[in-house]
Amino acid sequence: MILKIAWRNIWRNNKRTLISTLSISGALILVILMRSMQLGFYDSIINTVVQSYSGYIQVHANGYWEKQSVNNSMEVDDRLIDEINSITGVDNISKRLQTFSLVSKGEKSKGTIITGIEVEKEQLISDWDNKIIEGSTSFDSTDGIILSKGIAEYFDVKMGDTLVLFGQGYQGMMAAGKYVANGIIDLKNPKLNEMTIFMDIKSAQEYISSENIATHLIVNKKEYYDEKKIAEDIKKAISNDYEVMTWKEILPELDQMITADNVGGLIMAFILYVIVCFGMFGTVLMMTEERMYEFGVLLSIGMNRIKLYLIILLETIILSSIGVIIGVAITRPISNYFNKNPINMESFGEGLGDAMGEFGFDPVVPFSINWDIPISHALFIFAISILISIYPAIKILSLNPVKAMKE
Amino acid sequence: MIETENLKKTYKQGSLKVKAVDNVNLEISDGEFTAIVGPSGSGKTTLLNCIGGLDDPTSGNVIIDDEVISSYSSGQMIKFRLNNIGFVFQSYNLIPVLTAKENIEMVMLMQGYNKQDMDQRSSDLLSEVGMSNMSKRRPAELSGGQQQRVAVARALASKPKFILADEPTANLDSKSTAKLLDIMSKLNKQENITFVFSTHDQRVIDRARRVVTLEDGKIIKDIKK
Repeated sequence: MILKIAWRNIWRNNKRTLISTLSISGALILVILMRSMQLGFYDSIINTVVQSYSGYIQVHANGYWEKQSVNNSMEVDDRLIDEINSITGVDNISKRLQTFSLVSKGEKSKGTIITGIEVEKEQLISDWDNKIIEGSTSFDSTDGIILSKGIAEYFDVKMGDTLVLFGQGYQGMMAAGKYVANGIIDLKNPKLNEMTIFMDIKSAQEYISSENIATHLIVNKKEYYDEKKIAEDIKKAISNDYEVMTWKEILPELDQMITADNVGGLIMAFILYVIVCFGMFGTVLMMTEERMYEFGVLLSIGMNRIKLYLIILLETIILSSIGVIIGVAITRPISNYFNKNPINMESFGEGLGDAMGEFGFDPVVPFSINWDIPISHALFIFAISILISIYPAIKILSLNPVKAMKE
Repeated sequence: MIETENLKKTYKQGSLKVKAVDNVNLEISDGEFTAIVGPSGSGKTTLLNCIGGLDDPTSGNVIIDDEVISSYSSGQMIKFRLNNIGFVFQSYNLIPVLTAKENIEMVMLMQGYNKQDMDQRSSDLLSEVGMSNMSKRRPAELSGGQQQRVAVARALASKPKFILADEPTANLDSKSTAKLLDIMSKLNKQENITFVFSTHDQRVIDRARRVVTLEDGKIIKDIKK
């Protein structure tokens, strides 16, 4: 009966209900879409930068991060891999050997990062195959290399072309060799695309003249696991000769940028919620004040104050539920659409894509379709409605039925 | 039995103190059909509100069946009103969003009736006040007289010891008044329900078996017919 009364009371004034629910759903639509875009963008950055480059967690020999040289590399045996694999939440582990070299072709030369990889394991970590835009997805021979898109464009590389690499090897050895372009990869990150060359880890070891070493162990986590917790567990499990870092420690600028931008989004959401809060409060205020006489009657005939308050609380919750349902129903297909067809920022103006590229981001913004976004904001709206219903609760608790009926 | 013992109710109006009820001693026995009459401002409604526990007396007691209800807390009073007193108001005061039947059932729901009993009793009460064919109508779809009859049925729903009716016929035409008085009189005689009215409607006064006259908050006449 209480639910029935609350439901019918809401429709006493259709126009007011419509305006209130539309204001709730309007604000919710803006907040959800804004957050879907922001979080989708962060996911995309994390996917491209973290998954293609840093991994969620890295294990190096102590001192490597301070001085990134092959001289600070480590020997990786099966025991170390097994120890890391035994940690809950660890998904895949891949070895990398990274060094800096000069690459040249014809008259041109350029500084690059040479990354030796285990191509089968890399596929599990960074969706390798799908990023190959030309040529082979693996190395055809020991002198085969895969070039990032920017380098291939810079040297105008065709499949089968030979490039010369020249750099420093292990412990002062000289590293030099001729390598054949097997493929071109798009790392979805403009900065990485400008400077990365991949080769098989064994070829890289040969290039720097040291067998069985690696500079990084890239550890990927299973979905929903916390990388910080996994990193701590790895630290405890392996010897003190290694340093364990999360992507946030490896790329602090990226983490800070995401945090700062995220705070901006939350401030925007807060402003919208303040507006919603006042709109809802206005409605609840009207719904309460115009029915004081009726409340007096209900108290007179024996309705207790808690049930009376429950009616108002239910009305507020129903009102916000309608707004939330409309908001989520409208935003869901929009988020889904832009998740599958990301917004290309280049279409918003010339140079915008380049500007984003300068920061190392792909100018493509997919929307997040994570249910956490609508659910968390819907819960926030419900929390606001409960907060707002404190006003009628105070009114009802102090209501004198005779005075209420006189007024 | 309803008793008031040296009942006083004083209001402040600016710097003035108004004695709405002034030392009223009254006894109303079970099954009475009593009208409290007097000019406007004589304290009829205030006396009724004090008896019904809607208003706290400034001093004195309200005693119902040997229980001093004027000392009850707000929560106790609400519960007491629900189970013992039926109210009929001048402006009917039905819940606008509920149908006639639902308005009656709401009181029983608060008392914890089950659905079947609630349905049966509300139908019986509607039939008793001659409103069976309008059970699904909302108050806005009923005339004043019809609304007041539903209000009487609602007042009876909780099986109260007595019904307090504040100017129940003030907004009704003579035909509706006669019908309402017939119903209330029948309930009084057949089911021995005590009715106490505040009124200055001569038609109600004519039908009452006891008339208590108030003036300036004091009983100046008490006539049993």
